[in-house]
Amino acid sequence: MTALTSTAPVARIHREPFFKRHHRPIVSTLSVLCFLLLWEVAAMQGWVNARFTSQPTQVYKAALVIFAKDDFAWHCGVSFVSFALGFAMALAVSIPLGLYLGVSRRGRLFIEPPLMALYTAPRIVLLPILIVWLGIGLGSKVAIVFLGAVFPIMVNTMAGVRGADHRLLTAARAFGATRMDIFLKVLVPGSLPAILMGVRLGVGRGVLSVVVGEMFVSEAGIGHQIMTYGQAMQFNNLLVYAFTISLFGYGLTVAVRMLEDRIRSWRPSA
Amino acid sequence: MSQDVAASGRMEIRDLSITYRKPKSDEIFTAVDRVSLTIEKGSFVTIVGSSGCGKSTLLLAMAGLIPRAAGSITLGGAEVTKPGPDRAMVFQDASLLPWRTVHGNVRFALELQRWKRDDIDERALRYVRMVGLAAFADYHPHQLSGGMRQRVNIARALCVDPDVLLMDEPFGALDAQTREVMCDELLRIWERDKKTAIFVTHAIDEAIFLGDRVVVMGRNPGHVREVIEIDLPRPRTSAMLDSPAFVAYRRQLREYIAADLLALQMVEALV
Repeated sequence: MTALTSTAPVARIHREPFFKRHHRPIVSTLSVLCFLLLWEVAAMQGWVNARFTSQPTQVYKAALVIFAKDDFAWHCGVSFVSFALGFAMALAVSIPLGLYLGVSRRGRLFIEPPLMALYTAPRIVLLPILIVWLGIGLGSKVAIVFLGAVFPIMVNTMAGVRGADHRLLTAARAFGATRMDIFLKVLVPGSLPAILMGVRLGVGRGVLSVVVGEMFVSEAGIGHQIMTYGQAMQFNNLLVYAFTISLFGYGLTVAVRMLEDRIRSWRPSA
Repeated sequence: MSQDVAASGRMEIRDLSITYRKPKSDEIFTAVDRVSLTIEKGSFVTIVGSSGCGKSTLLLAMAGLIPRAAGSITLGGAEVTKPGPDRAMVFQDASLLPWRTVHGNVRFALELQRWKRDDIDERALRYVRMVGLAAFADYHPHQLSGGMRQRVNIARALCVDPDVLLMDEPFGALDAQTREVMCDELLRIWERDKKTAIFVTHAIDEAIFLGDRVVVMGRNPGHVREVIEIDLPRPRTSAMLDSPAFVAYRRQLREYIAADLLALQMVEALV
């Protein structure tokens, strides 16, 4: 009897109010809605000149037209292919190289000065050279995406390997681990979170690069369309493409972040 | 042949010295100075001393993880130069791979020693069960208490079936109550097959409670000060902690360690 009454309060499910449970998405959505509303009202009331600032409703109307005509899917496809090729190459180069530099002091000393110079300089200064080498088109765009994404991933991978907990290395050695064992079973899994963080940064750089690249060295693609509509002062149309590319970048970033969270499930959550 | 079996868990340390070069200078620092010690097969030897007496360094040398300046360490007649499957080490906290589960961490040791693939999972699980963590086999280290993590550490060392178990302050990060429970648990496991055990600690009670012999180390440079035989019956129980014999050992050890600290202070006062 006493047991029954004592368990009763535990059995009652404590339910938080709706707002509290979905705190994050609600606040985020509200923030976006507020911004759109202010934008719309400001243009409508003449606080700002709608000719230069555009208006959410105008962008929406423009979007309907662009989705129907304007080869929207094709431009997106062109941008996507440049991004995907450049990013895949960046992954293929940066992760192995970053891992190697993480374990090799000599390699690090050798490659660090030019690496850091390239990492900190805006890669876009290389664009004119790339155009001469690779011409206007896919090659240059892939190269510029590659250059944008490769460094953050490589630098983070290297830092992940170097930041390995030496106590884990000692423990592995005590059990007779070979250098390869330590690399594959301690260093690589241990630096996975850092690698993914680099990938997430690389996505941002890569998306930026593909747009900038297309503004200058392309006859098609999202960046090309943005440039064209910008020169024609058609900001409604320009914004449709701008939103498309930021949505793509944002989606990819969120996807990588979800992967990071999965991999980090072995870590203390807070 | 029978000679080999008898000698397999016997460790002999002869005139062992270990030196370090201090970072950013050419000064040589002697961590362990001409230590000689014989550890019989199947005995439980504890090493105590204040911090900086070289006790952990000595243990790392037995593990084959650090080079020696002079002298020798032999195990079962063979020279110890690098880590080997005849020794396994239990570390302080935080030596488990955080991305592996309890089971995966025990398995890790078997993988490194190239155990055959088909029974590796089963064997790892058996040792997880032995330390009482069957229900937590799929947990990650951060989800466990400090005591549970050390159980994993012990399981990981035992599963590779070493001749000698080396323990470097394995309970140093635990609270007093958990320590006592873990000491009981460790002895219970050790009594089963009585592997040679070498246990480094700075806790005097722990050293007496666990050991057949207590090696007291002194500092500057690290050396063996005394070796005391602990004549308490096994299995040891926590009731013995208050027995007259235990209290006498405790007082004796305290005096040795205090004398070492005092000698050091006098040296410092002179300098």
